[in-house]
Amino acid sequence: MRTFLKVIGGLVVLGIIALLAIIFVPVQRTPAQTALADDWQPEEGHGEYAMRLSDCMACHTEEGGEPFAGNRAIESPLGTIYSTNITPDEETGIGGWSLADFRAALYDGVRPDGTHLYPAMPYENFRHITEEDVRAMYDYFMNEVEPVNQQVEETALSFPFDQRWGLRLWKWVALDDPGFVPEYDDPVLARGEYIVEGPGHCSACHSPRNTVMAQAGLQAGDPEFLAGGEIAGWTAPPLRGPQSAVRGWSEEDIAMILGTGRNAHAALNGEMQLVARDSSQYFTDEDLGAVAAFLVGLNDDVEPVAEDPGETETERLLASASPDMGLGARLYIDNCNACHFVDGRGADEVFPELAGNSLVTAESPRGLLTMILGGSQLPSTALRPYRLQMPGFGQRLDDEEVAALASFLRSGWGNSAAAVDAATVADTRASLE
Amino acid sequence: MSSKTPQTTRRVFLGGTAGAAALAGFSSLAQSPDTRPDAQAVPLDDYSPEFLSAAEWTFLLAATARIIPSEGDGPGALETGVPIFIDRQLAGEFGTAADLYMEGPFVPDATPQLGIQSPLTPAEIYRQGIPAFDDWCQRNAGAAFHDLDTDAQDSALQALADGDTDLAPELREFWSLLLQNTREGYFADPMYGGNAGMQSWIYIGYPGARANYLEWIGRDEPYPLGPVNIAGERA
Repeated sequence: MRTFLKVIGGLVVLGIIALLAIIFVPVQRTPAQTALADDWQPEEGHGEYAMRLSDCMACHTEEGGEPFAGNRAIESPLGTIYSTNITPDEETGIGGWSLADFRAALYDGVRPDGTHLYPAMPYENFRHITEEDVRAMYDYFMNEVEPVNQQVEETALSFPFDQRWGLRLWKWVALDDPGFVPEYDDPVLARGEYIVEGPGHCSACHSPRNTVMAQAGLQAGDPEFLAGGEIAGWTAPPLRGPQSAVRGWSEEDIAMILGTGRNAHAALNGEMQLVARDSSQYFTDEDLGAVAAFLVGLNDDVEPVAEDPGETETERLLASASPDMGLGARLYIDNCNACHFVDGRGADEVFPELAGNSLVTAESPRGLLTMILGGSQLPSTALRPYRLQMPGFGQRLDDEEVAALASFLRSGWGNSAAAVDAATVADTRASLE
Repeated sequence: MSSKTPQTTRRVFLGGTAGAAALAGFSSLAQSPDTRPDAQAVPLDDYSPEFLSAAEWTFLLAATARIIPSEGDGPGALETGVPIFIDRQLAGEFGTAADLYMEGPFVPDATPQLGIQSPLTPAEIYRQGIPAFDDWCQRNAGAAFHDLDTDAQDSALQALADGDTDLAPELREFWSLLLQNTREGYFADPMYGGNAGMQSWIYIGYPGARANYLEWIGRDEPYPLGPVNIAGERA
């Protein structure tokens, strides 16, 4: 009996020691993955461009705020996380950070004092950014960004998520090896893969989260990579597989929507609008082409959408304008038809197609409902400056009507997604208010 | 009938509706204080005017009933709530000339092409115009406008339209305003208080805020669906 108690006591002591070690022993920071000369200097513009590739701006700038001064509220399943001030201000920003400090934030998600960053900061992906891009960005933030003295709102998640030391355990599960090794020999595909997997951190939204809320796929070879997720009430559609949002799209289509927010098939919505506004519209044509080639390659094995399905049953019904048609179809004529037309194919670069539209047919109807209720406005981009807008119909349609309309869209023109009930609409409506 | 008041030009209207309805959305309309997207058609008897006095209201009921009479094929101004529309417009930004250029010079005998020539707001024109015109009716036809029989009312309105009454120069827009606002109340979306039950749209076969029926262009048969209003109601 005494031996047993000793064993138990010993285990408890060991457990406490392990816990204290997890909390207090400093994290081993990932070193540079490529040895660069000490006097290595980025070419002019390299740092700003790497920042654009990484889209630091969208999250680290609040609406109407100074660039990179942080304080943007980021809704996460765990609560609201406020982005930090990453201007080179000594007191409230990252002024005084060393290159190693900066790299550790990107690669390991730790601040210089050892505090763990919440994975709203996509270090799962940023740990694949090259040393050249890290150095160039460091140079950019230290020397080209204006310091802004702004204390950001303290992130205060509820217990246990406020115990940041727990993230250390999470990282053991979530993080893979640092550095970037391409799957492709082709330099264009490898460049596209680098941007998508690394700085572009596409996987942060477009890959599902696993049971511990880590990205379920981080690289092209992982089957769950870019298999679809959800972000802030919007659909981050699958970019591969049978439900791929880009199946059947050409490289030009993909480059176009990233560069301008719109193409012949679709318009960006939700958080992806920020990506086009602050990040992808600044990509060089070569990089847009590389990303597009990589994504088209991921969809090689997917059945493309029929280019012209001919006149569908849905189109015939809508064109009849018959007073006997069901509520969903009638609401489409009364509210949607003016822009999206009876064939559900809209107009190139202006009104998105609804036939085969990934937002419409997503497994979760939430993104579609968010769109119908609240509308959407495209960002202005250099090539397509007009901020095209779809109005919200939340005032005009009640929950039953939105449900009927959404169900109609999800089953019209050959779409075959599940119907939507009024309770889901009410739920979405409440989350928008 | 001359039309001397500032009118929405076709170009502004087309640009405005295409932009607002198709792209910018319906919200900009709904935010204006003189719109009530939730308002049901109010019977005239139950309506308490916001701007007009009892005497002015009595005049307006009588005058709009002659401009778009109830007897005839379609609904009249009274069944469609036109006086309610006008009262609300006068109580709101239209009445206070919020969107009009109101600095001088005002030249009463300027040609109509030079636009409105009154230093008065639309609300002030109604407020001064109604008693002035009633007074003219009293002197020339023996009774206030609403007490005249319909033939006499028509003659009085004709005189007003022809500029044959002795209204002060700053009231010269009274008739054209009254005519224009009556038409607007008859045909505007019900959210503004007139066109109750979309009756005028049903009457002329206008499908309302549906905005598109491309497939029906060139088909020599009536469009089967009734109208829909901006609030999404169907009639």
